[in-house]
Amino acid sequence: MAGSSLVLSDDSTLSKIDRGLYRLETLMALLSGLAVFALMLLAVVSVSGRNFFNQPLPGYVDWIEQAMPLIAFLGVAYVQRNGAHIRMDIVAGALSGRTLYLVELITTFAILVLMVLMVWGSWSHFLRSFDFAAPLWSRDSSMDIALPIWPAKLLAPIAFAVLCLRLCLQIWAYGLAFWRNEERPVAVPLIADAATQAAMEAEHVSGHDD
Amino acid sequence: MEPIEIGLIVSGGLLVLVLLGMRVAFAAGLAGLVGLIWIFWAKKNYGADDFGWALSVAVKTAGQVPHSKISSQALSLIPTFILIGYLAYYAGLTKALFEAAKRWLAWVPGGLAVATVFATAGFAAVSGASVATSAVFARIAIPEMLAIGYDKRFAAGVVAAGGTLASLIPPSAILVIYAIIVEQDVGKLLLAGFIPGAFSALIYGLLIIGLALTIRGFGPAVRGFTWKERIVSLPPVLPIFFVVITIILFVYNPFGGDAWGTPTEGGAIGAFVVFLMAVFRGMRWPQLKDALLETAKLSVMIFTIIWGVLIYVRFLGFADLPGAFADWITSLTMSPILILVCILLAYAVLGMFMDAIGMLLLTLPVVYPAVMALNGGEAVSAADSTFGMSGPMCAIWFGILVVKMAEFCLITPPIGLNCFVVAGVREDLSVQDVFKGVTPFFIADAITIALLVAFPAIVLWLPMRV
Amino acid sequence: TEWNVSLWGKRRAFTEHVEKLAELVSQKTNGGFTLNLSYGGLSKNRENLDGISIGAFEMAQFCAGYHRDKNPSITVLELPFLGVDSLEKEREISMALYKHPAAVKDLARWNATLLMPSPLPQYNLVGVGDAPKSLGDFDGLTVRATGGIGAAMKSVGAVPTSMSATEVRQAIDSGVVKAVAFAPHAHMSFGVIESGNWWTTNLNPGTVNCPVVVNTDALNALSDEERDALMSSIDEALDHYIDNYNNKTMKAWGPALEERGIEQVTFTQEEIDAFREAAAAPAAAAWVEENGARGLPAQELYDFVLEQINQGS
Ligand code: NA
Ligand code: NA
Repeated sequence: MAGSSLVLSDDSTLSKIDRGLYRLETLMALLSGLAVFALMLLAVVSVSGRNFFNQPLPGYVDWIEQAMPLIAFLGVAYVQRNGAHIRMDIVAGALSGRTLYLVELITTFAILVLMVLMVWGSWSHFLRSFDFAAPLWSRDSSMDIALPIWPAKLLAPIAFAVLCLRLCLQIWAYGLAFWRNEERPVAVPLIADAATQAAMEAEHVSGHDD
Repeated sequence: MEPIEIGLIVSGGLLVLVLLGMRVAFAAGLAGLVGLIWIFWAKKNYGADDFGWALSVAVKTAGQVPHSKISSQALSLIPTFILIGYLAYYAGLTKALFEAAKRWLAWVPGGLAVATVFATAGFAAVSGASVATSAVFARIAIPEMLAIGYDKRFAAGVVAAGGTLASLIPPSAILVIYAIIVEQDVGKLLLAGFIPGAFSALIYGLLIIGLALTIRGFGPAVRGFTWKERIVSLPPVLPIFFVVITIILFVYNPFGGDAWGTPTEGGAIGAFVVFLMAVFRGMRWPQLKDALLETAKLSVMIFTIIWGVLIYVRFLGFADLPGAFADWITSLTMSPILILVCILLAYAVLGMFMDAIGMLLLTLPVVYPAVMALNGGEAVSAADSTFGMSGPMCAIWFGILVVKMAEFCLITPPIGLNCFVVAGVREDLSVQDVFKGVTPFFIADAITIALLVAFPAIVLWLPMRV
Repeated sequence: TEWNVSLWGKRRAFTEHVEKLAELVSQKTNGGFTLNLSYGGLSKNRENLDGISIGAFEMAQFCAGYHRDKNPSITVLELPFLGVDSLEKEREISMALYKHPAAVKDLARWNATLLMPSPLPQYNLVGVGDAPKSLGDFDGLTVRATGGIGAAMKSVGAVPTSMSATEVRQAIDSGVVKAVAFAPHAHMSFGVIESGNWWTTNLNPGTVNCPVVVNTDALNALSDEERDALMSSIDEALDHYIDNYNNKTMKAWGPALEERGIEQVTFTQEEIDAFREAAAAPAAAAWVEENGARGLPAQELYDFVLEQINQGS
């Protein structure tokens, strides 16, 4: 299973668009991380409220449920850009050059097909919870304190749409790499050999203690 | 075509996509979506006009899954547990742990390796992920072992194996995932991981001592620490105990009074304590930002697999494949315990090629109901059951077994992720070296798993008391 | 014809009418029309109405309180202290409301037709610690109660806390809540009585309303014979459900309490009247106002329900 990978860049238009999109993706991923942090603070508030003031946070569960889509969806394109969605690379790892680009092109295209349909499906899920005529535009509400659910549901099609952009860019990049038989294709995650890859994973948890 | 046949064909297709290297989350989602379209279209007898309807119903059904399944309170434990691990690192807890373990334990034969195992077990109590644990200790422990003449392959093996403890000893992201798939009490499962985790560490330790006693110059003991040196090594480790005790008290109060809250809250409070420590130790916005981005990356990766696989599981529900598999398993004439062992062996093989979370998510929806049926059903009492334990207890026992199997797979070739990580951190070690060094621990793990199967009480003693 | 039915959890008293309906329909059509019951495989319970609206399955069960905004009209039956005192009555009133044009229109937004209720008895509290002797003892008591019942508990100073049914056992064991409001079958199936040491016999603040609905298009697509088989089985299915609940679940309930030595707390009529006084009118007024703003004939629905309740007695 592969985790992180390398993404090369140069001064081509493709690479410029890649880095531009990456800035947006990083921002969205950071929001997702901040939502985890907020979740932690929420628990502190809830526990101290209950134990010290006998006043539990009203709708604590409802708020957690609202925060979860923030955490789970916003970073989805960021992870795809970095090639960190896990996969088995026994086959892909053994390929190289045009054959590799072709296989990557096909599997990336398959993801695009799925995600375009998922944008449709999650958008219609959002629409069923949204009603311009209703108070707070809400047609679906949470269990305890009746928060409108449509904002949380809307996050899915938004994040998935950004992922679709990323996938289009990757298909373009793999196509170009295939066409030119590039040695060092830009804007797509490369399969690093196992050691390089592990070194990159380890990087995030090391370097501080020494 | 019968829904079950569609279920089998689509599952085969999923396997091909995964083998081709398609990202597991999306391969599962696509297989599920195609399966749903097929099932709905078959319902209308493949009328040419009905394809549009089938497509639309399938897409809308799949489109509900991400939001619907992700907005759950229990799942919120996963990002929290991941965050704790990264923060603990910035709080300097890893180095402190290793130092204390060394001063207290390294006097036994194979001392430094034993100390490493128990330090990783200690870090496991604040880290939710195995890979991260191995990476951290490869930096800290291997150089010290090499300095006093350990075989470098063995030193690497100790760290790779020790890292696997993080997923049994709570907090553990993978135990939470299991609890959610099988809809069991998260708190009890986390609690149930404690003793088997400590037990695994103990078996590792005994194995090392045994090796050191039989092989000359294998792992020299490190003596000469004064009691004073030992005592002063403890205060820096105290925060770990503080976090562990906090999390336990939120699940179960051993003093008979009320526990302090739910596991969800316990995880979050633990993270908050470690956060304060890290700030005290000098963590500022750049490091926090890094920790948050890494937490987001790992969380999103896990959640994407979860919703992707759950689209596939939704399709399985329409195809009623889990029901059919459970019927098949219970109709077998083999002895139930033999069937269980076969299932565990199948996990060992599958785990060679797959990552733990993906493996559990893909297989449990089908395998878990079958195991429960084998034991006599979800609601069976201990007296009427096959394995001598009630339905909920069987769920816990099987969960710990499966997670231990998944951990075992982190150190087996060809895709033992922990070994890759250790080799990656240490430039002087190849992946083959690490696999070679970790081999003795296969034996330890096999013994542990056999004992957990033979004596379920090791797993169930603690959760039965809650 | 084959219909998929989306339920959740396990087979229990709460789903016996659907089980019976499937049996009867298949019998009457000689297996020509079957209902395929799925417990949790087809949808999450809170998304059952979405699945019906999409057409993913043809029949489903859900509770109105899971999502007030999806089905505001039928939440009127979840108001506290309506004065419904038996399952038979709960059934009668629900069936009447399900035929009310405002409810029909409300559910039509989901392409759903209300078929039958899953009548539940009045909720009561199981709790740990000192048993309350009077309403005053509820002051500051943390209690798991949602919707109208939560509002009622709040009116006597209790502190309602939210959590899903599956987290309730953990919450009471850990002291997050001191008491839980459920119907008896849920107190048993979610294990609350394993921890609790008192139970209120006659607080009866209200209950939840959990209808079984069908996809309207699928209903219209049935042959006359099939539709007859379905519609003519509803009464018998409900009879079976109520009989089962009264004679099995409720019969098991008393002994279950005694076996575990759970103290039964009964309040005086004056106390109950005071509770009703404090809770009922304000909750009803708030409901009418809120749902009037939604464009629902809220006052009319509320009056309709009261009228139905008073008719029988
Ligand atoms: Na852990
Ligand atoms: Na492996």
